[in-house]
Amino acid sequence: MILRIVNDWLSGSNKLERLWLLAKIEFKLRYYENKLGLFWALLKPIMDVGIYYIVFKIILSTDIPAFASYLFIGLILWNFFMESTSGTIQILNTKKYLYEYSNMNKLEIYTSTLLSNSIGFFFNLIMFLVFYNVFETESIGMSSYNFWIIPLFVNLFILSLGMSLILSCIYIIAKDITQIWQVFTSLLFFLSPIFYKLSVFKEALPSFDYANPIAGIIINARYVMMGNTAPNYELMIWDFGYAIFLLFGGLILLNKLGAKAAEKL
Amino acid sequence: MKEEIAIKAKNISKTFHISEDSHNTVKHRLFNLFNPPRRKEVKAVKMLSIDIKKGECIGLLGRNGSGKSTLVKVLAGVYPTDSGYVNINGTTMLMNLGVGMSQELTARENIYVSGSVLGLKIKEIDALFEEIVSFAELEEFIDTKVKFFSSGMMARLGFSIAVNAGADIMFLDEIFAVGDMKFQEKAIKVFESSWIEGRTVILVSHSMDTIRQYCSRAAYMDHGELKFFGDTEKAIEMYTADNH
Repeated sequence: MILRIVNDWLSGSNKLERLWLLAKIEFKLRYYENKLGLFWALLKPIMDVGIYYIVFKIILSTDIPAFASYLFIGLILWNFFMESTSGTIQILNTKKYLYEYSNMNKLEIYTSTLLSNSIGFFFNLIMFLVFYNVFETESIGMSSYNFWIIPLFVNLFILSLGMSLILSCIYIIAKDITQIWQVFTSLLFFLSPIFYKLSVFKEALPSFDYANPIAGIIINARYVMMGNTAPNYELMIWDFGYAIFLLFGGLILLNKLGAKAAEKL
Repeated sequence: MKEEIAIKAKNISKTFHISEDSHNTVKHRLFNLFNPPRRKEVKAVKMLSIDIKKGECIGLLGRNGSGKSTLVKVLAGVYPTDSGYVNINGTTMLMNLGVGMSQELTARENIYVSGSVLGLKIKEIDALFEEIVSFAELEEFIDTKVKFFSSGMMARLGFSIAVNAGADIMFLDEIFAVGDMKFQEKAIKVFESSWIEGRTVILVSHSMDTIRQYCSRAAYMDHGELKFFGDTEKAIEMYTADNH
């Protein structure tokens, strides 16, 4: 029944085409405008991995196996979250031209931007797979569990969309949300097991893997991509719960505050 | 046969709260908790209801500051209304001096984005593309970013997109002031052709001739109130009387 409604809605209009068109243009704007082009999208995670590798493996000599891959998968998920939240706080301002002269649904603006970030994530994921399976000496190879990354990414997408809606709507009434979010994300970054060993993280911050949705997604992504194991289902359900809750909050804010964007910004 | 309604607005109103100092940040709000900003209320549109049928061309008259542009934005779904409701049946496009175009995109990309926002499929835009470009007389600058365009070029591109792609419901706010004389003639020719037929158009203009020529009904606004809605001649009469 729900599927049929969605199908009717999509086939009768140009919505899907429009989302894809906007996403493609957004992606092009981000990467093709500078000299290095798409290369940046590929270079960025490698440089990030390099930095943390030097600090934690070479200087602090951590004993996590396959540490570069461990960092890699954590960082690409984290970067997607950052690009989709910090990167979209001012979206109602920068994309004003889309809704200022027509009755376009604002939610499409968010979805297309996140879709554009998803293209970037997809490239990064392929790089990770190549890295892990070709260059990583401690790799245990691919398995069918790898497919679990799809629902995990869907979870991350919903979570980021919800956060993006909340932040960008608050931006309308409080411009310094940008700075506040910056501080909050650096805290969140250090409270996520991106470069810590999972057991150390769990010991120091018990049950925090359940409180921080990003942590849960990263932990599960490592299980399915590097551990040849199924994800922790309980953790996954929690994280989907958080994501859907935030998305609802975001949609309410969009209706209350976001609707006024044209006159306030 | 029952006539289809394009826009149904019931008891809509719009008030702007203009504060003298902007409390736009958390810091500002905290430091001024006990010192609320002085606010001025501007009632731009006062309680009005209006029905616009499909395929109608409506004229909107009123002096500067009478609330025409605000009403247009509320009817187009750009501004939310404070009371009542607006039902919009289809895509809307609002045209005044600029139309929704991104400075960062090229003319080509803007045509595709605008066309898509107006409800066209990519294939339909492909088919219209040449026509949009040649009507705007911008053949040599298709892949130039819009930010390098002159204001005349921008306006022409916007007008061309609006004319060729067009939304279901068009709001035209003083559009005949666009471009040089040659382009204005072209714009008027479009209106004289059958373009306007079968489209729902809301025309805001200070030119009585334009309104008289194209509009089947007209509305006259004064200080945010809808004083009259109906016969075009009557509305023009009231507006002219107000100006004396």
